[in-house]
Amino acid sequence: MKDGFDIPQAALRPPEKVMKLARMGSMFPTRLSFLRTLIRALAAEDAQVARPVWNIDKAGFGHAVYTVQLGGYTYSLVAVSTDLPDAQRTDRVIATAWDTAYVLYDGVPDGDEIARICDAAPKQEAARFTERDLVLSRANKSVRLFAHVVDRLRAGKQPDETLVRQTGYLMRTTAVYGNGKFGIADRGLIDTRPGLGGPFMAEMLTVWLIRLFTHDLVEFLGGQPLDRKLKRHLGIGNSTGLGMAPFLVNHPVLLNNWMVARETALARVRAIPKLSEQEAEKICDLAARAGQHLDEWAVPDPDHQARIAALCAEWADAVHRFTPGDLTKPAALDDLLRWSEGHSLDLQELLVALVIEPFGAIVDGLAECMCDPFGALTTPFADTGKLKSAILETGGWALQNDYDCVSGSKQFWYVSAAKQEPRLGDRYAEEGADMESPLDIGRRIKNLFDDLPKTSEPISEFLAHHPDHALAVSRVAAMIRYPYSEIRDNLIGDDCLPIDMLRCKLAFFGASKFDPKSDRWTRITLCQGAPLADELQTRGDDWWLPVFDS
Amino acid sequence: MASGIRQLSWSAAEVLALGTKAARGAGAPPLQAARFGQVAALHLMNGREEALLAAALDHLPDGPILTHPLALDRAVIALAEGEVAELTDVSFDALLLSYVDTLPFEVVAKQSESGAIHLDGDLTVPRAPPTLCRISGCDALMDQLHRLAALTLVPESDLSRSSGAGAGLSDND
Repeated sequence: MKDGFDIPQAALRPPEKVMKLARMGSMFPTRLSFLRTLIRALAAEDAQVARPVWNIDKAGFGHAVYTVQLGGYTYSLVAVSTDLPDAQRTDRVIATAWDTAYVLYDGVPDGDEIARICDAAPKQEAARFTERDLVLSRANKSVRLFAHVVDRLRAGKQPDETLVRQTGYLMRTTAVYGNGKFGIADRGLIDTRPGLGGPFMAEMLTVWLIRLFTHDLVEFLGGQPLDRKLKRHLGIGNSTGLGMAPFLVNHPVLLNNWMVARETALARVRAIPKLSEQEAEKICDLAARAGQHLDEWAVPDPDHQARIAALCAEWADAVHRFTPGDLTKPAALDDLLRWSEGHSLDLQELLVALVIEPFGAIVDGLAECMCDPFGALTTPFADTGKLKSAILETGGWALQNDYDCVSGSKQFWYVSAAKQEPRLGDRYAEEGADMESPLDIGRRIKNLFDDLPKTSEPISEFLAHHPDHALAVSRVAAMIRYPYSEIRDNLIGDDCLPIDMLRCKLAFFGASKFDPKSDRWTRITLCQGAPLADELQTRGDDWWLPVFDS
Repeated sequence: MASGIRQLSWSAAEVLALGTKAARGAGAPPLQAARFGQVAALHLMNGREEALLAAALDHLPDGPILTHPLALDRAVIALAEGEVAELTDVSFDALLLSYVDTLPFEVVAKQSESGAIHLDGDLTVPRAPPTLCRISGCDALMDQLHRLAALTLVPESDLSRSSGAGAGLSDND
């Protein structure tokens, strides 16, 4: 659907409130999350998935091809399953072998192309790919669940429901590469195609198809079908580390557009003068679902489990406010959101995601505003006086930090020579800070401010003498036009937790069941509760916060 | 990079990322390096002379990677203020055209009979995204880019291995 520009809306929550790491690290998926958008697109077209090739042996190794039509184009997932010794199975980016590897292919591959992909895909970063290859991915089997499901099916039984609920997936992806990596197609080659225009749509399609493959593989090996309810609850796991974190800093316009879409959705919902009884009942149902989801969300990390438990308790208390009688009063949602501000960020952000959910008619069109086709449409500042005013107007958050003390500059981002992946180091204990990646936007803005002359001069003259400040100048200019483009925290401070950046991005993907393993990597589940290939019409758009019996 | 891949082509995103890292490795500040990365991808997709990119990298920490953005920004400011948008201290060559092509607005560089170079166009109209194509046949430049990009990488140490994402934790389930 096209977004409407005459939809009433309240004021947006300001960026100084929204763009803080702690709040970003409390985000939940919404109906604007990319997986939801993709599934709506597939459902709108009544997309049919076919499996023209199933060349898998009795041990589960070989390859398969799935095809699906979207927006007038055919895409194929080539899935390659190989025998991986247990000792080589690791989710870390330094891994060199995986249980399965995948390519999302543009069109339908012939025999030669399938052979090429079967040779290259298992090598992942060590291979080269072509412009027909749209996405590259790999996944490892869940040690907890995969063999159990196969064994139970072979025994004529269904898998243990508790284990299915606790694990939630048969395989975990450890990378989903798009946009030109290792020679695959540039995103610009496909981003005007219907259905693939939004951010990460090709990647989301790949993940959804991989999930189908994992279901088919256990059913093939087990010799009988999985119970549909269990199958629907089996999404795709994902392990994500620091490699994902710099994306949000390196794509400020995109970050702005994602945030503005979500905040606009919230502002539109807040402006609804009075809910209908049906809408109020839906909100109540979703509140109950959220409670069940929280109850089922268990993680091994004691700190995060304590956080979930605290949210469960808060939510149990809050649910008393979700009654059709209260919710049909004037401005009920706005009142509810205002009430939530006295509670934890987790509760606030869960409520934000919830209240957006029932209102697809005024929200879903915003999904079209979440890409960045042009880059930053900013003009340079004419002189340093205008620049200084702009910093004072939008960059106060950067000026208030002390970057000279150890705690204010404890960490530095860099790219490791090993696999060329982003990492975070201790500036005062490790070598390499001289090759620091420029994610220290706050510090750069403050250093720029400190170096500005007392008397205004042309910006080009200033930058000719201070070329290192050009990045900060451009980011300040971007903040004027794109106010949600910067994370308004010190990303090199000792209290910066990359996990907050990961959760923000993953929530936009549509991830749930965040399961942090440290402050720099997390497991998540994607597509849990999502429609199966033959359910796009019947269950297309009602799987926010999956629960076990959904 | 293995020599066996030479017959294959590069995506624009790869060249952009590699060009950015290479300029950083050769001493360019971050924004100027990022702009060079964009320029490198567009320049090669348009079949323009790769030697100009190589020379620009060789000039660092001075040269067009620093001066072209300044000249363009001056001209854009002038254009925004309705003044004559002259591009000064630059040569009217393919590298300049590639820099102009990376501006997000519908603008072009023109050279008058007097030799003066001007920026002309409409700063209210976003430039249409470029038509992307594969990049190949520039092996010497790609070698240079890889060599310089490697200078931005931090070698692994015992400490970085032990503090990396996921280090020391069970990552199977």
